[in-house]
Amino acid sequence: MTTVEAPPRSRTARPPKPRPGPTRYVAAAVIAAITYWAASETTGIGLVPQLSEVFVDGLSERTGQIVSDIFNPAFEDAPATGGPFLETLSMAVLGTLMGCFLALLVAFGSSLVTAGGLKRYRFTKGLMSLLRSVPDVLWALLFVAAIGTGALSGVLALVLFNIGVVAKLLSETIDAVDTKALEAADAAGAGLVQRARVAVFPQVLPNYLSFSLYAFELNVRASAILGIVGAGGIGVLLNLARNQFRYDRVSLIVVEIFVFVFLTELVSIALRRRLVR
Amino acid sequence: MTVTTTPATRSTGERRPTKPRFVLGPVLLGVVVVAAAWAWGTAEIDLARLLRAPERLVRTFGLMFLPPDLAEFPRSFPAMMESVQMAWLGTVLAAVLSLPLSLLAAVNVSGRFGSGATRQVLNAIRAFPELVLVILIVTIFGLGPVTGTLALGLHSIGTLGKLSSESVEAIDKGPLEAVDAVGGTWLQKMRWGVLPQAMPEIMAFWLYRFEVNIRASAVLGVVGAGGIGALLVDYLNYKEFARAGMAFIVVVGVTLVVDTISSAVRRRIIAGAPGRTDEPDEVEDVGTDALA
Amino acid sequence: MITFSDASVTYPGGVKALQHVDLEIGDGQMIVIVGLSGAGKSTLVRAINGLVPLTGGEVTVDGRSVTKSSAKEMRAIRSDVGMIFQGFNLVNRTSVINNVLMGRLYETPTWRTLLGRYPAEDVNFAMECLERVEIVEKAWVRASNLSGGQQQRVGIARALAQRPTIILADEPVASLDPPTSHVVMRDLKRINRELGITVIVNLHFLDLARQYGDRLIGLRDGELVFDGTGDEADEEVFESIYGRSLTADDVLGEPAPGEVA
Repeated sequence: MTTVEAPPRSRTARPPKPRPGPTRYVAAAVIAAITYWAASETTGIGLVPQLSEVFVDGLSERTGQIVSDIFNPAFEDAPATGGPFLETLSMAVLGTLMGCFLALLVAFGSSLVTAGGLKRYRFTKGLMSLLRSVPDVLWALLFVAAIGTGALSGVLALVLFNIGVVAKLLSETIDAVDTKALEAADAAGAGLVQRARVAVFPQVLPNYLSFSLYAFELNVRASAILGIVGAGGIGVLLNLARNQFRYDRVSLIVVEIFVFVFLTELVSIALRRRLVR
Repeated sequence: MTVTTTPATRSTGERRPTKPRFVLGPVLLGVVVVAAAWAWGTAEIDLARLLRAPERLVRTFGLMFLPPDLAEFPRSFPAMMESVQMAWLGTVLAAVLSLPLSLLAAVNVSGRFGSGATRQVLNAIRAFPELVLVILIVTIFGLGPVTGTLALGLHSIGTLGKLSSESVEAIDKGPLEAVDAVGGTWLQKMRWGVLPQAMPEIMAFWLYRFEVNIRASAVLGVVGAGGIGALLVDYLNYKEFARAGMAFIVVVGVTLVVDTISSAVRRRIIAGAPGRTDEPDEVEDVGTDALA
Repeated sequence: MITFSDASVTYPGGVKALQHVDLEIGDGQMIVIVGLSGAGKSTLVRAINGLVPLTGGEVTVDGRSVTKSSAKEMRAIRSDVGMIFQGFNLVNRTSVINNVLMGRLYETPTWRTLLGRYPAEDVNFAMECLERVEIVEKAWVRASNLSGGQQQRVGIARALAQRPTIILADEPVASLDPPTSHVVMRDLKRINRELGITVIVNLHFLDLARQYGDRLIGLRDGELVFDGTGDEADEEVFESIYGRSLTADDVLGEPAPGEVA
């Protein structure tokens, strides 16, 4: 067995500890500053005084009554909520179907892979950003103001909201698509729509279905409350109960919404899992 | 020269395969059609109204944006800032509280039972839309931005907790083993094994949630939680469309700006910028090492 | 001193990784464990610091029973037993010195470890450990920026930082190229000689095993089938440990740099 020769211990000097860069501290300072600005009484919302008011001084008697109402949902009124819930569900379904269909078009326009031209890409991408920056309830507000209360406004609001969400997700998937099939389509002389349909769509289809289900989940959640601004569905009842201070009814509807959303999620997650497989 | 062609049928008796039946497609289409028909009927969409809608929309949008009431800006902007503040504080609150919850909800940290239970709690929290939370919280904390903050924060704990726990579950367990092997405690395992690996992605989720919360907070004012929502509802109710248009532009503008900044910061975090390590990114090779 | 008394490990699912192993390892020895994949080498090594609990029998370290320890006692035992891993198991996003300081986790107050503020003497000692494996110039470099061999040396420094009586090495060179493998094995041997630390290494390279081990232990299907010196272990012995004739994969093949084969 050969003997193991140890090399001489090297005399490298210990390197000095480097000065920490400013990034960490700058970031921490910025965060602290923004938080202070947001929470203080003068520039912000006055978080601390209001919280301490409740926790230290306690609730007034009237509030106590309301809170206890909340913990006693008016289950006896449940049958009356059935109709509005169906309306909510139908709003979600229509919103998803139309929204996801349109989102397909927008998505194809927002990806360099399928847009067919920088101008179209930029325009569509800008449009998508704009759509995404408006919350669903805001759309509902707009539509109610423009065309009146009712489920139609709700559906249209959901459609626009959907396009924003699904188109973004889908366009990212399209960006990541395998380009080999596209090359083949181009080589065969396919037009813009044809190459999208033949080379891209099959690749993104599972994701598209998954995103659509996700959008449906979001829509169910959203449509339950769009009614608060008059756009139809169970939200209308919720708003009514709230204005009447019938918090036992508010609580009932909240529980129902919770169950509704929960069930939808379970189904959606199960379906999505099977899609990705 | 004659060209011989081989006959189409082979002597082995192979038949051409039949086209596989793609069942999913037609079924899916069927489901979609049925659902659409049912929904259309139930929602009682008035066709006449639907046809009139585009014209009315254009008219309203015209009143709102051509031109918007610029003098409205000094009132809309601070209101939007209040919405931003609500979103910020709500997100900070949720980030701090969701971190320990995410550890509890992660299978590789808390085992199957503990993580399962925590997961369900987080799902339950997530199921309440923010507006609903506001309606409930307003009974205790009254109208105003504090209620909105709490509603946003509470709801976000659910979402952030779930996403963060998925980040935690995706880490490499090698460093965790190393902490065990040197005799470290659970806390030390979290600090040196879990967090260094999971934090970049978790912080990106926090920023993304902030972006989402900005949108949500703009709307919460509709039920009295402060911010620009209340202004918008008033203007639309009283048909002051030009002012509403300005407010709308403010909302979209601020949202886009926040989005842009937030995305840039997120990209930097994921790329492993300095500040993610305890010592900063360091000096590369200072001379050659002992072994060639 | 490490003792195995009738030690057995059966994994859920029925795999018998260790079967009734009786073994005594005195202080200051350099042991190499050989055997096929799945023969139980990794299980044996990880049973010593309790990363794999026994399902039968007992293992003791310096008189303390690993099998019967509470969680707290286990941590105490582990703080005296260093370990290096095939995959290095470094915290990639932080500096080399912070990785080495992880060896001091048990001895340092928790609040200090959470903040990363170790006492100056610990930082000093960590530097010494890095000097011992000749990589101190990389102290402040991010761990993921090092090569495989350098990372493993950091792993060794981390183990040394524990001031251990025993160092375990689970396939420490399987991910490294031949020259680097020799360097790592040589470092382990040096630590064993100069510091008197018991070193137990898992290897599947038989030439490395013979070259660096004082005592070779052969496992086959979870059973101890050989226990002797490198000289006693010739090809026949290895073939009986492996249960098949040897292949080129079983040896590293290259001599250490500067040596003749």
